[in-house]
Amino acid sequence: MLQMKNLMHKALITIAGTTAVVFTAFASSGEKPAFAPQVPHPTNGSTECVEPVDDMKKNHMEYLLHQRDKTMHQGIRTKQHSLKECIDCHVPENTEVRFGDDKHFCSSCHNYAGVSIDCFQCHTDRPVGKNPHKSNAQVNLPLSTDVADGSVSGASNE
Amino acid sequence: MNKNNVTQESVNISRRSFVEKSATAAAVFTIAPGVVLNQVHAKPAAEPVTDAKRWGILIDTAKCGSGCNDCVTACHEENGIESHGRPLTDQKWIRKIKLKDNLTNHVVSLPMMCQHCENPPCVDVCPTGASFKRADGIVLVDRHICIGCRYCMMACPYKARSFAHEAVDNKVEFQPRGKGTVESCTMCVHRVDNDGTPACVEACSSNDHGAMVFGDLKDPQSEISKQLEKHGGKQIRADLGLNTGVRYRGI
Repeated sequence: MLQMKNLMHKALITIAGTTAVVFTAFASSGEKPAFAPQVPHPTNGSTECVEPVDDMKKNHMEYLLHQRDKTMHQGIRTKQHSLKECIDCHVPENTEVRFGDDKHFCSSCHNYAGVSIDCFQCHTDRPVGKNPHKSNAQVNLPLSTDVADGSVSGASNE
Repeated sequence: MNKNNVTQESVNISRRSFVEKSATAAAVFTIAPGVVLNQVHAKPAAEPVTDAKRWGILIDTAKCGSGCNDCVTACHEENGIESHGRPLTDQKWIRKIKLKDNLTNHVVSLPMMCQHCENPPCVDVCPTGASFKRADGIVLVDRHICIGCRYCMMACPYKARSFAHEAVDNKVEFQPRGKGTVESCTMCVHRVDNDGTPACVEACSSNDHGAMVFGDLKDPQSEISKQLEKHGGKQIRADLGLNTGVRYRGI
């Protein structure tokens, strides 16, 4: 039993040591380990983000949150910190990749880090141009339904 | 005492210089008595909207055809609203209705949407502050903080708001919409912020109906203000004292 314990200890130490060596090797060579998220590069060939990359990695959610409230409540529509610009720059047009796939710019990290976001329940997860509905969607709504009595005398369906 | 005098003097000087500067600034815009330059600028994207403007729409029911629903189609196309085949719960940001005067049997057809009230009941009842009025008078739902309680839908006398019961598959870039929140006419705020015209008004005028006019109610030189001054414009349920931004002619 004692021997078994010793063996386990040795095995653990070996694994820990190997992992440390691997990490040191990656750290010194500057390469990413294979299991790190593979984040797609900007589609426009740009090498700089709207803020320094390290800052964006840590604080992008803060920028997006503040921009969100400014746009919604004050009508400020600058592009620098807008979610739309993230998508326009980092997700290729006409892509089949959707949010949730590991290849999607946002999912690549969020899947890896296990962080759930609900941005794309409402926002589009890829550049869709001005209006996708003109080409493929069916707009098939009835003219009207009921309405409360108007100021005149009565209101009805049309 | 001396110190006080000095302070008083410095205040006076700055006040004088302020008055002089204001006079100079005024002179730039006033060329001659009665002639004032009206400069129209697009709002810079980085500047917040202010209450210097109040957006409104004037609808002439005499020009609004009873069978026409161009404004409805344009709105739903612009904002990505699709029918799920369930008319009772499908979203409707704008709809055509008939109003009948029971005394004379006179029937008018008109589009009904969010009336963008100055005193909106939907804002009063919202428990989270999601329903709000922008400085320029546009009433919106901030769907980031809407919890879907639907109090606003009950409070609105115009039945202008809808609840998104189902997930939205085809998302429009400028009009994020999703399941579980309340939504209504935004007066195409994404267009208005870029000096555009709401989709319904654009469709109405481009199809030569000309029943809808969009503009700034606070600018006496705007087309909508001129028409309102000339012809007047009624509110629906004016008795509620909501001071709506959408006005109607011929009702």
